Amino acid sequence: MLGLRRLAKTCLSSNKRHISALYITGDKANENYVTLQPYLDFAGTFRDRPALEQGIASRGLGIELEKVLAKFAKYQTHHEQLQRLDEEREAISKELKTLSKSGAAAEQLESLRERGKALRNDVKALKQQLYPIEDDFIHDFLHLPNALHPHCPAAKQQKLIYRHGLPTSKPHFISHLEHKDLVHFIDNQRYYLMEQAAHFDVNAMQALASYLVSKGDFVQTSNPDFVRCVLLEANATPMGDYHQVKEEHLQNKLNVAYLTGGGAFESFLGAMTKLCIYPSVLPLRYVACGRSYNREEGLIYGPDSSLYTVTQTNAVQSFVATLTAEEADAQMEQLLNLAINFYKALDVPFQLVYAPADSLTPAESLRASLEVYAPSLKRYVCVGRISNYGDFVSKRILFSSRREKHYDFLHLIGGPVLYTTRLLAALIELGIDLDKCKLLGRPNPQPMTQLEQDLQEFKDLFK
Amino acid sequence: MKLLANVRRLLKHQPMMERLMTTTTSQAHDTTTTTRGSVGKAALTSEQLNELEHNIELRHHRNNVPLIRQLIEKLQEGANNVELLSQLEDELQQLPNATNPRLLSYNNEPRELANYKHRTLPEQGAKEFSELARALNLFRMDHLGNFTGHKSYYLTGQLAMLEQAIIQYALQTLRSQGFKLMSVPDILPREVIEACGMRTEGERTQVYKLDTGSCLSGTSEMALAGYFANQVLEEQQLPLKGAAVSRCYRAETSGLQEEKGIYRVHQFTKVEMFSITTPEQSEATLEQFKDTEIALFKRLGINFRLLDMPPCELGAPAYQKYDIEAWMPGRQMWGEISSCSNCTDYQAKRLNVKYKRASDGRVLHAHTLNGTATAIPRLLIALIESYQSVGSAGNASIAIPEVLVPFMNGQRTITRNKRIPETKLVKFIKSTTS
Repeated sequence: MLGLRRLAKTCLSSNKRHISALYITGDKANENYVTLQPYLDFAGTFRDRPALEQGIASRGLGIELEKVLAKFAKYQTHHEQLQRLDEEREAISKELKTLSKSGAAAEQLESLRERGKALRNDVKALKQQLYPIEDDFIHDFLHLPNALHPHCPAAKQQKLIYRHGLPTSKPHFISHLEHKDLVHFIDNQRYYLMEQAAHFDVNAMQALASYLVSKGDFVQTSNPDFVRCVLLEANATPMGDYHQVKEEHLQNKLNVAYLTGGGAFESFLGAMTKLCIYPSVLPLRYVACGRSYNREEGLIYGPDSSLYTVTQTNAVQSFVATLTAEEADAQMEQLLNLAINFYKALDVPFQLVYAPADSLTPAESLRASLEVYAPSLKRYVCVGRISNYGDFVSKRILFSSRREKHYDFLHLIGGPVLYTTRLLAALIELGIDLDKCKLLGRPNPQPMTQLEQDLQEFKDLFK
Repeated sequence: MKLLANVRRLLKHQPMMERLMTTTTSQAHDTTTTTRGSVGKAALTSEQLNELEHNIELRHHRNNVPLIRQLIEKLQEGANNVELLSQLEDELQQLPNATNPRLLSYNNEPRELANYKHRTLPEQGAKEFSELARALNLFRMDHLGNFTGHKSYYLTGQLAMLEQAIIQYALQTLRSQGFKLMSVPDILPREVIEACGMRTEGERTQVYKLDTGSCLSGTSEMALAGYFANQVLEEQQLPLKGAAVSRCYRAETSGLQEEKGIYRVHQFTKVEMFSITTPEQSEATLEQFKDTEIALFKRLGINFRLLDMPPCELGAPAYQKYDIEAWMPGRQMWGEISSCSNCTDYQAKRLNVKYKRASDGRVLHAHTLNGTATAIPRLLIALIESYQSVGSAGNASIAIPEVLVPFMNGQRTITRNKRIPETKLVKFIKSTTS
């Protein structure tokens, strides 16, 4: 089942659309507004071919690198030819300027002008030839994955990093769906949480965000719920992960909107696209509370639908940007430590693992998965995940820091540190009292006593 | 008379129509007649048809009574035409609720019932929310259309914390007043949204649709209505008071200058109150909702006024509605930040929400009510504009209302955040081909 789903997902992502919203060649730019021109790092991508090849294989991607390289060679040849013609044209135009100033013979000038015209036509013709070659190659290039992080385990092998508690072998447990007083489940799109479950849904999200702000020096944000196609492509998010939103009067038909939720990683990218920042604000650490509507991610916990498989959840989403890969590693470790503290305080069986290469999206180089034990599934379920994206996504969205004339693309760490719905389902099954469980970061303002309330109401009378 | 005789015949065979028609006449809201059990036997008279039309005109609603008359005439000519019957039912669905007679003398103008002044605000010179929030580096709304959509926005730093603080403050207040919290879905089937009185088709629909045909909820009231649909509650359970925190999605747009910035946006978070009551309880419950809202905003210390809304401002489902408008000194205008409505049995009939009367065991339609505890963007505007001050060095700051301080990690002032990068954008960074 899992294999089939992964195959379908791979087919979906390798099933190229004819036109990408992320890269639009000149011939199509008239009808399609170019919103973003990604930085294409050919040298960096092809520098270590064996590693790239190994990465493609480990991730189980059906990409034939040799073919991509052949297309690249063709693209380069044409590009160099175009560059040569351009240079020649420029030289002629300079020469024309100098000669006409020094009063050269009309015949000589005319012949140069003719040569210039011919070159212009050649450039035009070559560009027309180059468009399909460019289209073909660049789209393949954009499908190449990020380099794998040295810590990333090979396919099908997850690496255990931390474990807290162990699942008890209690034969009897009650599925969270049986707790009708707390959960009213209809399908993967619709469910209702009641009483303590509803309070936990809000409180856990706010507590963790607050914990990251106070203990991790994160800056809190509140992000938009729609993300356009161009950013999902930049993040190599499979398009099937999110619902497409139908919009009336859409100007750019290619760049449609998707319902990601403000608690999705992609939602951060809107604020970072084309952003150039001073190194002094780095490392940049953000955390957002919001919804997440990933309709694919939970399906691995099927086939039976439950709170583990639903599309909508509250989430705490993290986003960290650093100047170097080393700093990114350090930030990831720091964030994971904070996450471990949060889950440890709940005192439930949980583990932190590095996910195998074949479960990563092409943009991720490493993924740490925070997993809590779900008795009804007899397995650990992912309640949060933090990934290292290197500078792969930054290059595509032009998120950089400038040093004199040089742009450094920033290294990104991020992901949902918490999905409340899945955690809640597991806690219910583990028999945890939702009202009493310890949430690090939760402010504890004492509710007003009756006397205080009466006093307040009395005071209000005079306002 | 021939026409009316035919309507009677139609109604006899169409209980659904009967239900819908009775809601829209004042008779349905006369609790004495309801308790006598006369609703089920309501007969449509020419006066009632006239009353329906008069009500529609009062409420500036699309007048479909002539069409209803026409449909009935056609049905009379070709009886048992299923398509016509369904069209008639559709038109009856769209009739607005009846109107509280108290509002009839309002002459299309809201009546100000109270005005609460907590702060002395400058008559001029106060800055508008966007300008203040940008200066403090806590807000971004520019150059986002191609990436996160039209009128999308980011709140950062203390402003994002303030959003969560307002949610917690509202929930704490509602919990202390016996409201039960529920988490609700934001993706709903089209039918649920239409049953709440929202159109999902047409040029000016406010409802977003997804690729699957499902819709995005515009307010949690829709999800809650869906939850209670087809339920029969015990009278002892009523009044049932609930609350929800949800994301609201609205496709509407506005080019009006006074609605610029985050005043009218496509996505926002709202804490909503709702209630299911018996017909006898609904008016008192509406007063409780109104008092809860007033208490919430009083303690936030903003200047606001309470309005009793005239028939033309009620929308389709409400029988009566209070609005609360806050004074927004930066905009120099009153802006609606909250409202509460008594929908009587309008939604209950469309969603089949009933209760079992304790005295005689009869199953009757319940009444539904809804109200805004806090809707984030406009409340942020009111708070930030009202609590602004300028220091000696000319730098702006915002005082945090006392009741929100415990939810802001003890912080009392919002100041400029230097750790958040300013929005400096590049157009293009040249790639190398080798």
